[in-house]
Order: sequence, then C-alpha cells, then structure tokens
Amino acid sequence: MNQRELIHLHWRTGFGATPALIAASTKLSRENNVNLLFDASKKIEPIQIDLSDFGDYFNTPYTKLKKNLGEQKFQKLRQKSQKKVRELNFSWLKKIANSDQVLREKMTLFWANIFVCRDNHILHTLKFNNTLRTHALGNFGDFVKAISRSASMLKYLNNNRNFKKKPNENFARELMELFTLGIGNYSETDVKEAARAFTGWNFKPNGEFILRDARHDQNSKIFLGETGNFGGDDIIELIIKQKACAEFICTKLYRYFVNPFVDKEHIRELTDVFYKDYNIETLMRHLFMADWFYEEKNVGVKIKSPVELMVGIHKVVPSVFKKQRQVQYLQKMMGQTLLYPVNVAGWKGDRYWIDSNSLMFRLKLPSLILNNAKISLKPKGEFEDTFDEFYKEKKQRFSVDEKERAYFETHYSKVSFNELKELLVVPRLDYDTSEMLEAHQPQSSFQYGIQLMSIPEYQLC
Amino acid sequence: MKRRDFLIKSSMASSAVLVPSFMKAFENLDPTLLGYKKLVVIQLSGGNDGLNTIIPYRNDLYYSNRPGISIPKNKLIDIDGELGLNENLAPLKSLYDKGYVSIINNVGYPNPSRSHFRSTDIWHTASSASAYLDSGWMGRYIDQYGKKPYSGIEVDDSLSLILKGTTINGVATKDAKKMFNNAKTPFFSKVLETQTEAHLSEHNLGYLYKTMVGAKSSAKYIYETSKTTTSTQSYPNNPFAKQLKTTAEFINSKLDTKVYYVSMGGFDTHANQANRHTRLLKTYSEAMEIFVKDLEASDSFKDTLILTFSEFGRRVQQNAAGGTDHGAANNLFVIGKNLKKPGIYNDSPDLSNLDKNGDLHYTIDFRSVYATLLDQWLDASHSKVLGNSFNTLNFI
Repeated sequence: MNQRELIHLHWRTGFGATPALIAASTKLSRENNVNLLFDASKKIEPIQIDLSDFGDYFNTPYTKLKKNLGEQKFQKLRQKSQKKVRELNFSWLKKIANSDQVLREKMTLFWANIFVCRDNHILHTLKFNNTLRTHALGNFGDFVKAISRSASMLKYLNNNRNFKKKPNENFARELMELFTLGIGNYSETDVKEAARAFTGWNFKPNGEFILRDARHDQNSKIFLGETGNFGGDDIIELIIKQKACAEFICTKLYRYFVNPFVDKEHIRELTDVFYKDYNIETLMRHLFMADWFYEEKNVGVKIKSPVELMVGIHKVVPSVFKKQRQVQYLQKMMGQTLLYPVNVAGWKGDRYWIDSNSLMFRLKLPSLILNNAKISLKPKGEFEDTFDEFYKEKKQRFSVDEKERAYFETHYSKVSFNELKELLVVPRLDYDTSEMLEAHQPQSSFQYGIQLMSIPEYQLC
Repeated sequence: MKRRDFLIKSSMASSAVLVPSFMKAFENLDPTLLGYKKLVVIQLSGGNDGLNTIIPYRNDLYYSNRPGISIPKNKLIDIDGELGLNENLAPLKSLYDKGYVSIINNVGYPNPSRSHFRSTDIWHTASSASAYLDSGWMGRYIDQYGKKPYSGIEVDDSLSLILKGTTINGVATKDAKKMFNNAKTPFFSKVLETQTEAHLSEHNLGYLYKTMVGAKSSAKYIYETSKTTTSTQSYPNNPFAKQLKTTAEFINSKLDTKVYYVSMGGFDTHANQANRHTRLLKTYSEAMEIFVKDLEASDSFKDTLILTFSEFGRRVQQNAAGGTDHGAANNLFVIGKNLKKPGIYNDSPDLSNLDKNGDLHYTIDFRSVYATLLDQWLDASHSKVLGNSFNTLNFI
C-alpha cells in the first residue's frame, strides 16, 4: 500500500499514522494491513473505574436508600456519582488516545453517536459505555437488544415509565427513528404498538435488566404489518428484518467512515453485505477492502470531530490528555463533550462542527496546547520582535514536557519538511496557503508542525 | 524594520492593498438593504407544555385529562375570563398589561412530527413535514437581506440550523471579546491575506476558508461595536438571563445585526413535570421582563420584536409518570411595543376535537407567523425566504 492510502486508512479507522507505522506498513498488501487492524482490536478491554465507598448506592432502590441514609447523605452519594461520570469522560478519552485497540475505540465512538444516551449514574453509565465497546464489531441485532436492556437507556428514554396501563412511547419512537430505521420507514401506529411490546422492561438498582410481568402488555400487537404477541426482542427482530434498517446504518457508517456526501451505489453495496447477517466486522472489512474507499474524492474530505482533532494532535505530541479540567474545557469549547450529548439525535457532525466561533478555536488548538498559543510567523529575517510583542501577554495554560517533546523529535524530526507536510495534512494543500508556508518556513520541525496543524486543511481527514 | 514602521505598513496593507476581493464582499454593503428593526427569536427547547403555560381554565376537559398536573383555578393569573397564565409568568403578565404581548394559539403545521429533532428542524428550516432542507429561515433571510455573517447572531457557543444560510452562516457567540482576541492571531491574518478567491471550492475546504474569512471580519466588527455598551440592569443569575443580557447589549450598541436567536432548554417534561415546568417558566419570564426593561432604557424596544416558540406542544392527557408526552400544535408569544392586536390573538385550543394521537389540531401555520414577521417587520419578501407564499396575519 502506498503512503497516501495508508494515511487515509489510519485516519478513518483511527487518528492518523506515525512515520514508523507508515514505514512498517508500505511493504504489506491492503489485505494484510486491514487484517492487522482487526487483529489489534480482537481483545475487548472494558474501562475500569474505582467504585468503592459507595455503600448501598448500587444495590438499593432510591426511595429506600433515601429513607435509610437521610436526604443529605443520599445527595452526597448522588453528587459523587455525577463526579465519577466526569472522571469517566476523561478515562474514556485517554483510552481512545492510548489504546492499542484503535479500531474498536473508533467504532465505539461511532456507536455512541448512534445509540445516544446520557446518565449521571456512574455504574449504569460505565456499563453502558462498555456495552458499546463489547458489541462495536459484533452482531447488530444482539447489540440493539443489549442497548435496549441497559439501565442508562431505559432511564434516558423513559422506558422505566412504560407500563401496560399507560404506555410511554419515547423509547419505541427513538429506537426506530434514530437507532434502526429512520423516519419514513414506520408509522405512528408502529410506534404505539412497539411501545406496548416494551412495557415492563426495567432494571434493578445494580443495572441488571428485569422484565416486570405485571406491567407488561401480553396482548396481541400489530407491528410493521405482522401480528403476534410480541415482546421487545420480537420488535427488534422485526425491525432488522427490514432492509431499511441495514441501509439506515450503512448510510450513517458511510458518512462517518467514507464521505459526508453519500454515493448511493456504494450504500447499496454495503447494505447488501450488511443485510445478510448484520455482522459489523464483516461489513467493516468489506468497506476497508473496497477500491472506492481509497479513491481521491474520499480522501481528506471529512471535517474532523473535536475528539478526532484532539486525539490526532495527541498522536503527534502526546501531551493533550493530562488534566481532566483542561480536557473538559476543550470539549466544551468545540461542542463535543463525551457522555454529554446535546440530545438523543447525537452530534450531526461534519459541517455542523463548524461555525465562526468553533472554527477559530479549532484552528488555534494545536498552538494552544503545544506552543503557548504561539504560531511561528517569520517572513524570513524580518519583524521578529513585533510578533513576540504580540504574544508577550499570553498566560501559559498548557505545557509540553521534555518527554513529550522528545516523542515528537524521535518520530517526526528525522523526516523532511515535505514529508512532514504529507504526514500531517491529509487533503491537497490550498495553492495560496502552500506558497505562504514556503515563504514563512521556520527552522525547527516542531514549529513547522505547529504551522501545518494551524491551517484549515488540518481540520480535514 | 522598526516596530513603528511595521505597524504603519501593516495597517495600510490590511485596509487597502492586501484585502482580497471576496473579503471585501463582507465589508461593502448597500445600507438601503437593511432597515433598523430587530427580531429576537427564542426557542423553548424540548417542547413547552403550552396548556400549563396558558391555561384553558374554564374547560373541564383540561382538568379531566390532567388530574395530577393541572393548574387549579386559584393558582393562575386570569387574563380574559377564559385563559389564565401560569402563576410563575407574573413578570410576563406585567408586560401583557402594558399591551406588549400577543398570544397566538394553536400554531403548528400539517402532519406534525413528534420528534424533537425533526420538529425543531421543521421550525428552523420552515419546511413542510415531508421536506428536508439544510438551511434555516433566518439563515436564508441573512443570505438575501443581511449579506454578512453578523447580520444574524445566535447568543450561544455553537450555531443552530435556524441561522445557517445557503451561502453564509450567522455567527454564534456568547463572548465577543474572546472571539475577537482569537481571530486577530497574526498567522491567521497571513493565511487570509494571501488567499485568493480562485482556489476556493464548494467542498469542505472552501467552506472552511470562507468561514474563517467571515469569522475574522465579524469578530472585529461585533467586538469593536459592542465593547462600550454594558447593561445597567441586574439580570437573574442563570445562563438564559445571561444570554438575554448579551443580546440586549448587542442591540443597544446599535450593532447592525438584524436577527438574534437564543434557546432555552429543559422543556421535555416526560416525568414529574409540575415543579420543574413552573420553575422553567419563572426563569423565562423573569429574564424576559428585565430584557424588555433594558431595551426600553435605551429606547430600542420600539424597534425590537421578540418571538417565543417551542418545537411542539405536549399531549393533552398526562402520562403515568406525572408528565406529558410529545404533542402537536402549541401557543406562542410575540412581544413588542406596537402590536396591532395585543392580548389573545385567536380562539383558545379546542380540547374536544383532538387528532388520533390525542393532540391539538393547528389552526395557524407557523410559516404564516414567519411570513408576517418577514413582510411586516423585517421589510423582506417572505416568499423569497420561505420558498412559498403563505397567508400573513394581523399581529403587527
């Protein structure tokens, strides 16, 4: 595989490629490289969080717990749980940035924006997150069933309030609209009938699923044209029997992994592969082996999500994910805080990441993290003092330590400036910007790297 | 070269020789295109329960459908012997008594979507329930009538669909100073100075460059124009009130922005809504009263109109969790000084004639409200912005 194809493959399945990885991979065939990606992601390593000192919080219903502990102690535990969710946000980002199971983590991130959920109960949230990771490359039907049983989702979409005598439609609606079929592939009646099938689906305080028979509607339902005494699993089976479901997921996948602008022919091809057995790994292998995946029109055309942007910088100089507060601030400013989606539809992605505010922040991000917010600009030999003046006032917020700087030197400073440009910037450079960079080339690779990461082209992958 | 010489040179350069023509497009503008009137659009996100906001308290069906969450007659503020305001809307009532408020009932659209996202998209894009548009109606208005990104401002961290146009987007900012400081980084100025139009494509890269150009000139303009205006009113301490305060400062500084958009979240009250919903209304109405006072103090209220909407109302019948599920038609408020028909604009909701989901039917298409605002307030042609002709109403 050539270098450009490799960079493309590793940006879409991960967060870029180091020169060492490129050097080791160019000799291998496409199939070998793709196999390596899946081999590396075979293992499932759940995120672990220290959950000691919570007492009975994870095995007693809230009302009983409140009575036993008193309001104040109860609220303390609740706040502690919320704080732990913020900790999980940080742990998750660190895992994305440092895990060897790169593809699995990229897929987990993808699924987290399909099965969108938000919860401030740490145990339930952690379980939910690890469920995404476990099924990320597995069978889609099993995945949907696991998600539908998770405490976080049962709460988030009010299915814990979905009872035979008064069904709550929220989960049934979003299951079809956002998780599986998309609008237009089911009717309002289907929503009502599906809601009945999920009545009584609930969870225990420890997050385990439980079907409360007395609250479950046992009567016959008519769903997507079929009649039967359906339960929740039957509804999911009937949904994935629809080809529209395979197409819906493949379209989401295509936008995320290939191109925000969809090619109908390619979607049809993927849908046919996926519909056979809903095996996610088979589908992904097919995608990364397809010739069209590597076509120039699909390379460097996707606007990076804030997480992709941050982790991409981290892969060049591993200094991004050091302080929880800082990382929270960065996520907030760019509009993507993991575990805190804006709403159940998730982040729309691509151009929706960009407005004048967020773009300027994103352009500034590499210099902010790596270089005291400074981007070298020396029109050869002139003006040196002027720009130093300009930056003098800036406070140091982020810092790069020696070890992190050494990482960059080891991996990147041996390559030529031209090579560095090819490695860091995926799309073809804008003509004027390329000329400008020529005219303002700094001495060190590090400063040049920062310049390259500060041009609009770096926003794309 | 000495610093002083450099400064002189660079200031000349940036104002004359080196400004590319496509950047000038944002700066040269025919002022006759723009009137001086402002529109502030506020969304109560999540689906405000209109029936517990403007309460049809003479209607027994209201009480029989909502045994657990209805507002009793002695806990509301009567307005016309038939409808009453939620008691936490007292600040709104004082505006109402001055003739500043028009309440329009039963606003919606055919085949209503009960999805937040879809229905918000429909309200933002002004599309029908079956069409999918990727630009917002306020975005298209600034495309055609404002021409500059800062013609429309969302007072928030990120920009919503409502302010995305087909050729330009509005600006999202809660803090003009921060935005300005970031945009004046020398490296970015250099990138833009050397840029020529020829290489900008319609693809994502061209989009990024264009957004960068717009961001830089807008940041400078918004900050420099608004920096001297600071509100003297004391707003409540919450994010929504803060957003309105910033909006008032922008308007009072005579910023050449035509339309503003602010959203307030939390209205998706599926469970235990009673206390939560009234608290939200309190937050809304308290901030709104100060906002109007702030505008009046600077004599800009007469030129400002405020529309408050929500993406849908909620179901007439409560659910088992002491909340309400997603509904359809809803009421909305227009707040301004010179309303043609202050008070209740049209008939109360008909609770005896519901659709098959048990939701209210609409009697006024929301695009008629937009059409009225565009034609009669913003001096625009509504069919150009909305893509179709709609009946206009009679509230301004």
